[in-house]
Amino acid sequence: MNDQPEHPDEDEYEDLLADLRDAGRLEAVPAEAMAAAKTAIVWRTIDGELAALTYDSSLDDLATAGVRSAEPSRLLTFEAPGLVVEVESLDAGARRRLVGQLVPAQAGRVEVRHGDGTTEVEADDLGRFTVDDVPPGPVSLRCVGATATVAVVTDWVVV
Amino acid sequence: MATAPLTVVVCPPARSRGCRTMRPVAGTWGSDGDLLRAAQAGDAAAWEALVERLGPRVFAVARAFRLSWPDAQDVYQVTWYRLVTHLDSIREPERVSAWLAATARNESLRALKRSGRQVPTGDDEEFDGADLLALPPDAGLLASERQRSVWDALARLPGHCQRLLRMFMADPPPTYEDITAALDMALGSIGPTRRRCLDKLRTLLVGINGDGERSGTQEDPR
Repeated sequence: MNDQPEHPDEDEYEDLLADLRDAGRLEAVPAEAMAAAKTAIVWRTIDGELAALTYDSSLDDLATAGVRSAEPSRLLTFEAPGLVVEVESLDAGARRRLVGQLVPAQAGRVEVRHGDGTTEVEADDLGRFTVDDVPPGPVSLRCVGATATVAVVTDWVVV
Repeated sequence: MATAPLTVVVCPPARSRGCRTMRPVAGTWGSDGDLLRAAQAGDAAAWEALVERLGPRVFAVARAFRLSWPDAQDVYQVTWYRLVTHLDSIREPERVSAWLAATARNESLRALKRSGRQVPTGDDEEFDGADLLALPPDAGLLASERQRSVWDALARLPGHCQRLLRMFMADPPPTYEDITAALDMALGSIGPTRRRCLDKLRTLLVGINGDGERSGTQEDPR
């Protein structure tokens, strides 16, 4: 399909490409990462509504980025039709602290899915919640408002 | 490439031992779209085969952006988690590898931004230079002479060549559409750029191998 037989060196490129693939074996996907990806299918949610990531402060000024220092905190907004989830991710040593709010304000339960498993916390009447000791890496939040009939599940994001 | 158009093995939705033991190796499953559709229908073995087949490309994107080893693993994982989340809304199953490449690109840019590092822009001049390629810990111990030479030569290429050729280190290699999505390159420029970069790589390899032979014969016992 992408072969161009009129090019006399195509065979030699194939050799070089084979060399590249062979050298690439030295940085194969780590076994534990691949295992996590394979079992990720269990995270599939059929019972929840997806809240898409609509704002990430770490992407601000992307077009004009020069050399920047890493920000100490990061704001994320996830939006589903009936619920907005605002989350601030803070560095706490080698771990993360997530401080968030459900909008419109409402009490509820928030379950954070992360590399060590899940952590469940309550959101207060104003919808505020805090999750401590989250391992850095991919996280997703599953939120159930006190009066909600369906769970809202956020997109995965690396914190 | 050389895969015969085999029919997809559809396993029963429940975990079936028979299905698992008979699971074909990735590559004999039919198209990417067949695998994705089977995964959408609840076939966990098809999902695993998809991860095996397209995973190296996802990882190659993260490494092409020179993410650290832990950051690259995070990008790899979150890209697959995102596909799970969006599994039912993938409209063009045949193009799932380009979807993964685009997602891995976005996540890689986020990771660069988070770590306070510079994001490569269109002209990528600032991306060039002596920023050595970081091999995974201990990989050097296992490297053959040839592999070592390839990595040495790669490290001396301009940044845009390193990025492009790193994509071709994935096995199976990416499609041009994947590369367009991952590196934001125009489809028509990939072929010519690849050719120029491979020419440079070959020249460097000849130099490295020549040097290697010479130094092998002039050992100074002092």
